Amino acid sequence: MNALARFLLAVIPAIMLTFAVPLANRLEPRIFGFPFLLVWIFFWVLFAPVCLYGVYRLEGRK
Amino acid sequence: MSPETIALLIAGGILVGTVAFALYSVRRIKMDPQQYIVGGRSFGALFLWLLLAGEVYTSFTFLGAAGWAYGKGAPAFYILAYGTIGYTIGYFYLPHVWRIGKERGLLTSPDFFQARYGSKVLTKSVAVLQFVLIIPYVTLQLSGVQIILSIAGYGHYNATVAVAVAFALIVIFTFTAGLHGAAWASIVKDALVLGAVAFAGIVLPLHFFGSFGTMFDHVLAASPHWLTLRTGAAPQGMNWFISTVLLTSIGFYMGPHSIAAVYAARDGDTIRRNAIFLPLYQLVLLLVFIAGFTALVVTPGLKGPAVDQSFLLVVQQYYPAWVMGVIAGAGCLAALLPASAQLLGASSVFAHNVLGEARWTRYFVIVIAIGAFFMWLNWNQTLVDLLLLYYNGITQFMPAFIFGIFWKRANAWAVGSGILAGEIVAFYLWHHSIDLAGINPGFLALLVNVAVCVAVALMQRHRQAQEIAVPAR
Repeated sequence: MNALARFLLAVIPAIMLTFAVPLANRLEPRIFGFPFLLVWIFFWVLFAPVCLYGVYRLEGRK
Repeated sequence: MSPETIALLIAGGILVGTVAFALYSVRRIKMDPQQYIVGGRSFGALFLWLLLAGEVYTSFTFLGAAGWAYGKGAPAFYILAYGTIGYTIGYFYLPHVWRIGKERGLLTSPDFFQARYGSKVLTKSVAVLQFVLIIPYVTLQLSGVQIILSIAGYGHYNATVAVAVAFALIVIFTFTAGLHGAAWASIVKDALVLGAVAFAGIVLPLHFFGSFGTMFDHVLAASPHWLTLRTGAAPQGMNWFISTVLLTSIGFYMGPHSIAAVYAARDGDTIRRNAIFLPLYQLVLLLVFIAGFTALVVTPGLKGPAVDQSFLLVVQQYYPAWVMGVIAGAGCLAALLPASAQLLGASSVFAHNVLGEARWTRYFVIVIAIGAFFMWLNWNQTLVDLLLLYYNGITQFMPAFIFGIFWKRANAWAVGSGILAGEIVAFYLWHHSIDLAGINPGFLALLVNVAVCVAVALMQRHRQAQEIAVPAR
């Protein structure tokens, strides 16, 4: 369970920034005037460290 | 005073001041190879963060990303994505690289090959290849300095001479201060670059357009498809985007200078915490894109390598000389500090692994710098093109690290043939400009590399794995 959670936390942002990009390849909806594709990529760029921190906590101290 | 005198004096002052600060900070350190090349394996989380941010965010970050936003639009977004994935991958394998480095007293990236695969031929070949690949990266930094200084000189100075002077300063600095010096200088560099990028990415668009949305409206009015990717196999379309993000994120830490930074960490936990917090620096890239898009609307019409000048031209035309000077100083540091780390990496690989004398590293810094400078005089590519060329080659070393850590059966023959196959495919596809469904040639080469490596390893059932390998978890 723990291993699966760590795996998903690491892999999901990476997939969102690669194979899922075709799904986000649009201008609308614009968010604060920014095109959607840029917002999508930027969101996952900011969220990935949060996920990695989750992995770190799940691993515990070594 | 004329604007070019003010701007260049400020930029020069920033350069000299930073170098002086770093030299003062390292004055008590005795520079044996351990200290000089890997900082005595003493860097804590904050210091390592500064060094890696100093190495990773280069003149390419500053100018190349803005240049691509200006010249190509949405394909530039790959730059935002790949670093983030690169950090995630690094989180999982770099602590093992560090541990093996610590246990065996490793200094360079090829040392890892020697420790894990025990083949002198493989180690030396890898050393020579890495050395050849890092040189375009150094020349890339010189192109960055040239762009910055010619704009800060308002066209009144010979930028080539200015580049030579700035580079000479940094080479002497590298010779004296080694990796410790690069880390200390990064403190100044990171702070200044943050300031300059915040100015270019927030002040510029708000000044000219009032809001980010209006700025994007202007971009879209001129070219409606600028902010989305083309689909499928189109040049720099979706296939290209995905394969390039994968290639560059996998190769993210493969430069010899990055591996040296990994060895410099105090412990494995430091590296893990670094990988968590370093991505926050990516915020800078968003601002750089915005600066590039702003420049596209304000000063349209730049073509070819000139796109790298994008937002610097806006600053030059619309802002006082001292602003230009500060931004130019920050930009020069952003180019020259990574150049320093790269020279150090290249030089340690050459002296230690090819010639077998780690003590010669500091002298080869100077020899290699002179060579890189003369190569640079004969190159003419945009910054990103040079960077992609580097990544195509350097990423081919990654399977040797990953298999070396996580797969007992990998051996010198397997990873050697994989690297050879990968480099040949990468070079062939690049040299002949062969296009396969828009996919990045370096990524295809990496697939060939992995396939060859696995096949050869499986065929050699009788070979014993080196005992160092697989980590206890």
